[in-house]
Amino acid sequence: MILKVENLHKIYKNGTHALKGINFEVKKGEFLVIIGLSGSGKSTLLRCINRLVEPTAGRVKFLGKDITHVTGEELRKVKTQIGMVFQHFNLINRHSVLKNVISGKLGQMKTLNSIFGNFTDDIYEEAYRNLDIVGIKEKAKERANSLSGGQQQRVAIARSLMQSPKLLLADEPVASLDPATSNSVMKFFEKVNKEFGTTVICNLHFLSLVRRFATRVIALKSGEIIYEGEPSEIDENWFKTIYGDEAEEVEIR
Amino acid sequence: MINKTEVDQSPLDIIRQNQRLEERANFIKAIFLDIFFVFYSILVLQRAIYYKFILDLREIPFSWGSILTIFLISVFIGTGWTFTRTSLSCKLFGIAKDNKVTKWTVEISGWFLFNITFIAGWIITKLSIVDLFSPEGVQGAERLFGALFRPEFGIFDDALFAMIETIYIALLATLISIPITLVISFFTARNLMKGSKITFAVYFVLRLVLNFIRSIEPLIWAIIFSVWVGIGPFAGMIALLVHTIASNAKLYSEAIEGIEQGPVEAITATGANKIQVVWYAVVPQIVLPFLSFTIYRWDINVRMATIIGLVGGGGIGTMLMQYQGLARWHEVGLIVLMIALVVWIMDYISAKIREAIY
Ligand SMILES: Nc1ncnc2c1ncn2[C@@H]1O[C@H](COP(=O)(O)OP(=O)(O)OP(=O)(O)O)[C@@H](O)[C@H]1O
Ligand SMILES: [Mg+2]
Repeated sequence: MILKVENLHKIYKNGTHALKGINFEVKKGEFLVIIGLSGSGKSTLLRCINRLVEPTAGRVKFLGKDITHVTGEELRKVKTQIGMVFQHFNLINRHSVLKNVISGKLGQMKTLNSIFGNFTDDIYEEAYRNLDIVGIKEKAKERANSLSGGQQQRVAIARSLMQSPKLLLADEPVASLDPATSNSVMKFFEKVNKEFGTTVICNLHFLSLVRRFATRVIALKSGEIIYEGEPSEIDENWFKTIYGDEAEEVEIR
Repeated sequence: MINKTEVDQSPLDIIRQNQRLEERANFIKAIFLDIFFVFYSILVLQRAIYYKFILDLREIPFSWGSILTIFLISVFIGTGWTFTRTSLSCKLFGIAKDNKVTKWTVEISGWFLFNITFIAGWIITKLSIVDLFSPEGVQGAERLFGALFRPEFGIFDDALFAMIETIYIALLATLISIPITLVISFFTARNLMKGSKITFAVYFVLRLVLNFIRSIEPLIWAIIFSVWVGIGPFAGMIALLVHTIASNAKLYSEAIEGIEQGPVEAITATGANKIQVVWYAVVPQIVLPFLSFTIYRWDINVRMATIIGLVGGGGIGTMLMQYQGLARWHEVGLIVLMIALVVWIMDYISAKIREAIY
């Protein structure tokens, strides 16, 4: 068991009850996909796992250890083991691709070295290796924001690989990409998952991608899990329960 | 960080409790604001409109007793007004009843406050069209303008030297301000400091001090420093420096507050520490705005250095003051001309540089 979430609640300061008692487990090597409408709490859930957002109640256990209340150095150690990829890539635009990738290693570096840009040859080598894995080694010296969306997301994947993560979180990693690029970017997650055995938890919107890549699916609806199972089990009926009647609600508004 | 009691409470309770707290806070704020509205209205009506305009008194009677009486009356009326939940402040804080009475009171009291403020302003500034167009006045102005348009070039060397002094005062104040402002601005950026109670306290106190410094005009600082270090360019430079730090720290920290959170989150998620996050995710996003603000500030400082000269901060302003005191308007004309020219050039250069870096 790599991750166990128990009775997780999140209430934002403005009173939004975004997660209402979430329970699930993730085994090592799984490719878990979370689906659900906008606002159903997918991002909140991922962010509670790596503590970008503080859970209000409940427990998150990572590698058998309760990490819900760890702080300071200990929390940083936990974070270094969990990679995260975002919808909008979140690269540092003005930095080179290489420097962006290296920044994934910050958690394991001495502060002074990182500020003065003293990176060891090992780190450079590792960065180039990870860029090679996502197939854009030749772009290393270019500015991050000169790359296309798909390429930027691959840089973001390479950055998270620098952490040698046990768990990789991806929050709608292909939501701002076109369908063809989406598929190719998803393949890199698959590669990381299959070749390095990295456990992946990924929020997705397109069911075609879910069926193609997920080993297991969880569906969220207004902060609760309403479905958990194999991707092949998602049929018309399930689609309706997850997305259907919400769509009617939208019309009423 | 969440604490234990929060975890053990049921989530719904927390929501309800938050709502209750917020409403109570808004209600208390509304009471204070309503009291202020009433107090202000009575004061303006009595002092400006009744005493000054209707009775046309030269000396307005003043006693703490009457002010206190008015204040107590205001507390009474204002609080009562809030409790009806139809007051102006109730509406502003979103706790008003939603009915016709609210709509009317809000409209009437808003209109009333605006008008008495305007009328009081009129009375206090002694607005007078007659003075503006009186024959002697217009003649005097004509004479002065005539002289200004025929500048005396005999003092050109002196004026040029004074002008250079002014530009350097501005430049030095701007340069020295950069490192100091940089450091301060990180401590006055809300998003970086709200983490813990201690950092937030530092943030709060620093902001307060900076707001205070900024609210005092460079002119006043120049007066203070010319007493402190003696009249001359040094006093002017320090005055500008102090004000530049306070103003730019605000702009810088607003730039820090306005950065994209995405990269910050991404770097935080890698397990980087606070300093690394600032260096890798915050700094690259603010270099350009910082540069731009600083160059713009140099431009402003040249103008301010001129003004500061008027009270003994050195440079062209001091020279202007001397000739103005002697009523030598042709010399004043030359100085004004030179100031206008330099300000215009600085404005142009700084705009061009700022364009180029973006
Ligand atoms: N920082 C925040 N402060 C207050 N409320 C928030 C915050 N972030 C999210 N929420 C609210 O929490 C709920 C869940 O949001 P979340 O972003 O987790 O949904 P999501 O499933 O990721 O949606 P999307 O598909 O649009 O990304 C929403 O109602 C949202 O408005
Ligand atoms: Mg989301």
